[in-house]
Amino acid sequence: MAGLKQIKTKIVAMKKSQTVTKAMEAVSAAKMRKAQQTALKGRAYARAAASTLSRLSGSREIAAHPLSTVRSVERALYIVITSDKGLAGGLNSGVLKAAAREIKASGLDTKDVSIIAVGRKANDYFTARGYRVEAFHPNNTEVSGDVVRSLVNEAAQRFAAQSVDKVFIVYQNFVSTFEQRPTLRTVFPLSAEDLRAVVEDITPKKGAFAGDSSAPTSAVYTLEPSEAEVLNTILPMLASIIVYHALLESQASEHSARMVAMKSASDKAGEKQDELTLQFNKARQAAITREVSEITGGMEAMAL
Amino acid sequence: MHLVIAKVDEVLFEGEAYSLTIPATAGEMTVLGHHEPLITTLKAGEARVHLAAGDNPKLFAISGGVLEVRADGATVIL
Repeated sequence: MAGLKQIKTKIVAMKKSQTVTKAMEAVSAAKMRKAQQTALKGRAYARAAASTLSRLSGSREIAAHPLSTVRSVERALYIVITSDKGLAGGLNSGVLKAAAREIKASGLDTKDVSIIAVGRKANDYFTARGYRVEAFHPNNTEVSGDVVRSLVNEAAQRFAAQSVDKVFIVYQNFVSTFEQRPTLRTVFPLSAEDLRAVVEDITPKKGAFAGDSSAPTSAVYTLEPSEAEVLNTILPMLASIIVYHALLESQASEHSARMVAMKSASDKAGEKQDELTLQFNKARQAAITREVSEITGGMEAMAL
Repeated sequence: MHLVIAKVDEVLFEGEAYSLTIPATAGEMTVLGHHEPLITTLKAGEARVHLAAGDNPKLFAISGGVLEVRADGATVIL
């Protein structure tokens, strides 16, 4: 049986771990609420841009625009969003597995696939497997407009220059605090359907953040200075909505996944503590019994 | 008219406004209520929002974007 002292040390260590996991749980809970609120703020922009697109989506110009031309896919770019830090359950491995599965299913060679990694985990994963990681953005602060813009620019340039034929984004979609789903979306070529799917995701059907997604009234618009000019400006904006939304979703997912993971770690630490305390008491009891029997044994020996 | 000025990560203005003066690509323009439906690109400059006729305007520096005017209001996305 392990010595009393060793068991005592284990109990103390377990208590310390529990303090840490409890603190991380509280921090993640606060960050999760903040991420959800940020998602709410971005909704006005998404709705406005989506309604503008829906009015342009019937036009012939949009199909011919360099950012929305459909080509056969020989080279693809994947934007993979993970977190920088671990300890968030199956969050990152879910995204990475989904990305790897998609790449395999596409039948493209490793050299025909390029990666833009957001978050250290994605960078490590794809670098280790010999993929070309063209750009890396850390994912340790709040989502900012700058990161969104540079991501969209990097992707749009490569797509417009035809150095890639399709741009995907892979991230963890936030369904609820207990459920996140790895999701893959096409960023380029831009299509009205993809954008509509994103806007539908932004507006949850139920819960505290539900809102109306009423269909806009259609009207005939004057386009100034020309339809092509308007599309040139608005298409990158629409791409930025997809990217921005993906970043927000994955941050909300990260924090809630970590919160849940830390909650179960705290629970487990508590359980383990109880178990060890029981073991400690048994060992102590055994030691006392032994001592008593030694003393009585000694007394009886002397009485003889 | 109902006016929204939004960046991708924040909403700069949302509410009722009397007029919006904004540097469109084709030249500066002012939008009042019941303007004809219009979508135009913007260039860098300053957007001025009057909440009521003749008051001190709210100023927003912009570096491009799109203005959409509908029957029920206007939206500027930067």
